[in-house]
Amino acid sequence: MRKLSSATRVVALGAVAAVALAGCSAGGNEGTESGSAEIRVWLVGTDTPEEARDLLKETFEEENPGSTLVIEEQSWTGLVDLLTTSLSGSDSPDIVEVGNTQAAAFTSAGAFLDLTEHYEDLGGDDLLPGFVEAGTYEDTFYAAPLYSGSRLVFYKKDALEAAGLSVPTSLEEYISNAEELAAANPGKSGLWWPGQDWYNALPFIWENGGEIAVADGEEWDAQFSSDESIAGLEQVQQLMTTASLAPKDGNETNPQVGYCEGTTLQLSAPSWVKWSILAPADAEAPGCPEEEANLGVYALPGADGGAAQVFAGGSNVAISANSENPELALEALKIILGDEFQTIYGENGLVPAKLSLAETLGTDEVAQASTAAAGNARLTPASPKWADVEAAGLLQDFFVKIAQGGDIPSLAEQLDADIEGILNG
Amino acid sequence: MTAPVSTIASAPTAVDGERLVTPGVQPPRFKRPRRRGGFTPYALLVPTLIALAAITFWPLLQLIIISFQEFGRAQVFGAPAPFVGFDNYAAVLADPTYWAVMGRSVAFCVVLVVVTMLAGTLVALLMTRLNAFFRVLLSVGLLLAWAMPALTATIVWGWMFDTSYGVVNFMLTNGLGLDFAQHSWLVEPLSFFFVAGLVIVWGAVPFVAFTIYAGLTQVPEEVLEAAQLDGAGAFQRFRLIIFPYLRSVFLVVTILQVIWDLKVFTQIFALQNIGGVRELTSTLGVYIYQNSLGTGEYGTGGAIAVLTVIFMLAISFLYVRQVVKEEEL
Repeated sequence: MRKLSSATRVVALGAVAAVALAGCSAGGNEGTESGSAEIRVWLVGTDTPEEARDLLKETFEEENPGSTLVIEEQSWTGLVDLLTTSLSGSDSPDIVEVGNTQAAAFTSAGAFLDLTEHYEDLGGDDLLPGFVEAGTYEDTFYAAPLYSGSRLVFYKKDALEAAGLSVPTSLEEYISNAEELAAANPGKSGLWWPGQDWYNALPFIWENGGEIAVADGEEWDAQFSSDESIAGLEQVQQLMTTASLAPKDGNETNPQVGYCEGTTLQLSAPSWVKWSILAPADAEAPGCPEEEANLGVYALPGADGGAAQVFAGGSNVAISANSENPELALEALKIILGDEFQTIYGENGLVPAKLSLAETLGTDEVAQASTAAAGNARLTPASPKWADVEAAGLLQDFFVKIAQGGDIPSLAEQLDADIEGILNG
Repeated sequence: MTAPVSTIASAPTAVDGERLVTPGVQPPRFKRPRRRGGFTPYALLVPTLIALAAITFWPLLQLIIISFQEFGRAQVFGAPAPFVGFDNYAAVLADPTYWAVMGRSVAFCVVLVVVTMLAGTLVALLMTRLNAFFRVLLSVGLLLAWAMPALTATIVWGWMFDTSYGVVNFMLTNGLGLDFAQHSWLVEPLSFFFVAGLVIVWGAVPFVAFTIYAGLTQVPEEVLEAAQLDGAGAFQRFRLIIFPYLRSVFLVVTILQVIWDLKVFTQIFALQNIGGVRELTSTLGVYIYQNSLGTGEYGTGGAIAVLTVIFMLAISFLYVRQVVKEEEL
């Protein structure tokens, strides 16, 4: 047996090689589980500053050598459809941002990974409570808060001054201000309000004592046609028809265009619109940085003074149930909810996901207005089907008709029936 | 590259087989049963059938199954989907919105087909009269319009009709002195469909024009010349000579247009994002999308889709029957 035939030698070599290769491949497999992989993060819209994106990518790749993190930007339009198809597929992104009012559609469907046991690691009770609620379904925590941002009113200081007006302190004054601005400046919008922009209409309903929908046992009872809501809707129609020259059927994208052109004197928009307005003139979506000194901002005033009850916009962030690397995704999620990452949101006028970081908002006008607005912010009905109401475009259609001067009571009756059809259907 | 080679290699046997069998062996009799070349033609059909089964029949089967189930977003993520019989169909057929959408789609489709066919025929006739240079110029223009993706085209047209900054409003106001400042083209349903129709016809005319132009080149010159000598005017020549020659071309193109225009999706969907009221402007394609992907009611959306498929099949049947008839002539 000393002398192996050459054939045997080849076989033996092959066997050794095979064993060695098998060892390698086993090691390789382990590697993909905890080591090298690509994590895909879907952020929506341009709300998240570039600085935060870079921080996430760099920190993650530093802490997890060999792995990479890719941020893919999606659009808010059609997001529910997109997430439904992509999260259920085999090529699912690992981490997704989702609008807070849309989260329930996915938490209830089992699209997200259960994060209950990581709740404390991610921030625990320091996380924004309203958003934790939005990301929780049947006592299971699926989607963490990402950031919150209420709408603020931006205005041209010189226009308000020229009309002899000052920053309004009540909802009534806000309405009369906008009308007077429009009357004093023919061809310009005293308040730019395109018909599809329904988020801005909610405070008028709430401040008049109305509701969107209330839970009545198992059933939802839509409230747009209540007397209180109709009083608010009349104010909305008044503003849309007398103070706004925005397209009656337009949507709220690119509010900076009219502002920079000079035809929009006031507009109500998420706080990050400040950066759209002040974008360099040669940017892809150009703004007007020279307006910086003239750009004023305040929180929408309530009916009895103070800040109005505004819609608490914002996002949740979750890990896809189909993520191939849930452990790595969790690492990335921890960075996203980390103080460093969240501070960047605060510095950019968005409310961070953690209560303890509230002071990062700073003290400038936007920050003060944001803090005031956030204190009184409210959410849409907590039904898993609410996202479907939004996706069906019912509210856009409704307010387009209001902007055209439609009959409020009959339109509101119809809207209530349609909303109940979806929420209870 | 292997599939085409093998097809070519086996193709001659079919022809040979046919030649051996059909003319030689069969005595010329009335109503003889046709016998083709045995098994080979069917074997040749197999690759096509497999491809069709994978990309058409399988999704269609899934669609039909879903339409009989309670299928929401939870089912997309793996929850069991209970069968509910004809519940989805009953709900759809009892919904007045469905009938409104159906009526709107059919009416819109009829207008689109008439306008597209007229414009396409006129462009085709124009091409026969033009000299080589302008014919090439026109062809290139048509090809560019045809090659433009529907979504891109709709967004560009949407900008042109933009309420605040659109070139159409600008021209009408500053060029013609009309009051179109801040005029919203999409907010009224009729006006919305005017813009949508413009985009769709603009994209559909090239196909019709090219097809009919190809047909026109086949009309024998001498017949037309004889008719002209006999005193037939241009319109009479078209009605009495060209149209009968091209009858089958017109029919096939019209039916294709009907099917395409009935299921139009992209242009309407994109325009609805720009402006207008969804509820008053949805056509079948968009309505199916809104029901299934929008509100997550895949069962209901599936039922509407299956009803649409049946409707389209009925129209396609006319098309297939005509094609078969032509072949038998």
